[in-house]
Amino acid sequence: MNEKLTRQDIGGLIARLAVGGVFIYSGLIKALAPAEEFAFAIESYKVVGPQLALIAANVVPWVELWAGLLLAAGVFTRLTAGFIALMLVFFELLLGQAWLRGLEITSCGCFGAAGSNSLGQEFVQNLALLLICAAAFKHGLGFSADRALEKHEG
Amino acid sequence: MTDTRTGRKLALAAALIFFSTLAVLLARQFSLVPDKPVPAWRTFGPETAQVRIVEYTDFACPACRHASGKVDEMLKVFNGGLHVTFKHYPLLNIHPWSLHAAAYADCAGEQGKFKEYADLLFEGQEKWGTARTMPGEFEVYARRLKLDWPAILACSEAPATLKRLKLEIAEGEMRGVNATPTFFINGRRAVGSAQLIDQAMKFDNILRGSAKP
Repeated sequence: MNEKLTRQDIGGLIARLAVGGVFIYSGLIKALAPAEEFAFAIESYKVVGPQLALIAANVVPWVELWAGLLLAAGVFTRLTAGFIALMLVFFELLLGQAWLRGLEITSCGCFGAAGSNSLGQEFVQNLALLLICAAAFKHGLGFSADRALEKHEG
Repeated sequence: MTDTRTGRKLALAAALIFFSTLAVLLARQFSLVPDKPVPAWRTFGPETAQVRIVEYTDFACPACRHASGKVDEMLKVFNGGLHVTFKHYPLLNIHPWSLHAAAYADCAGEQGKFKEYADLLFEGQEKWGTARTMPGEFEVYARRLKLDWPAILACSEAPATLKRLKLEIAEGEMRGVNATPTFFINGRRAVGSAQLIDQAMKFDNILRGSAKP
């Protein structure tokens, strides 16, 4: 481990672990619960019908879990960070439209069926995650599997 | 060189995805999934009890009626050391009125008489279980217990009631419940009252030790 870490590398590593960790937790908690539970939360946004909500509820938790793991480990770091940022933007759009339409959403579905913060707070929280994700995108190669593989191959 | 590197990254990504998926699926299979809370009227025994039984039941299933009696006996004998959580798992494909029964029982619970209504449902399951048209017994039982039947009807059709039941069925499916009654005794699965008693014997010392005289 002769890697000379710069302050930016350390910041990038922390950003990767923070965003990756949140996505791992969020994906895991939903993947371990019945999909119908998350589907109810998706339905409450009134964007898709029950069938599509159930399909999304079966897919999204796994995608979150895998993307979080890849980012935390630093595999395809930039690609994963970019993908997670896109997901966050999509979540922001969902939250934003619900906020603007004044929908009554008791659980945003962000972390399973557990009660959530208000839509506004979740919106701000996602915005913060988006900024941290940008740091992971830019400086996330410190202590990453990507860099380890590069070094391994000289 | 770049191709090899990309190949290794892909292999690493695939390994991470594979093992994480496997871990989650195993956690589901071995019921390491956290239990969803149920309304207070569907829990029996002290919260602090060391032996905890989660029961998935269908009111129209004869084996569930038999097991219900056993659980009642166990609660009487080991009242200090046993906590029972009742969860609905209506077998919709063979028992057409089970979901209704579950909803009515929950709504009777909101009026403080879940257990009494559940006992009547089990007692009369032969009468209503296979009825071709909407059984009148549901209302008869409610009136016998002096419950507000119109309120029960309204409550049974409320989205919150149906959502709770659907989620409980989904939770049961995820935990691999496919027969009733299925019990989880401190996480160990038992199907039917014979297995329940067999599993409970393993906790006999704890149960007897904490039973109130």
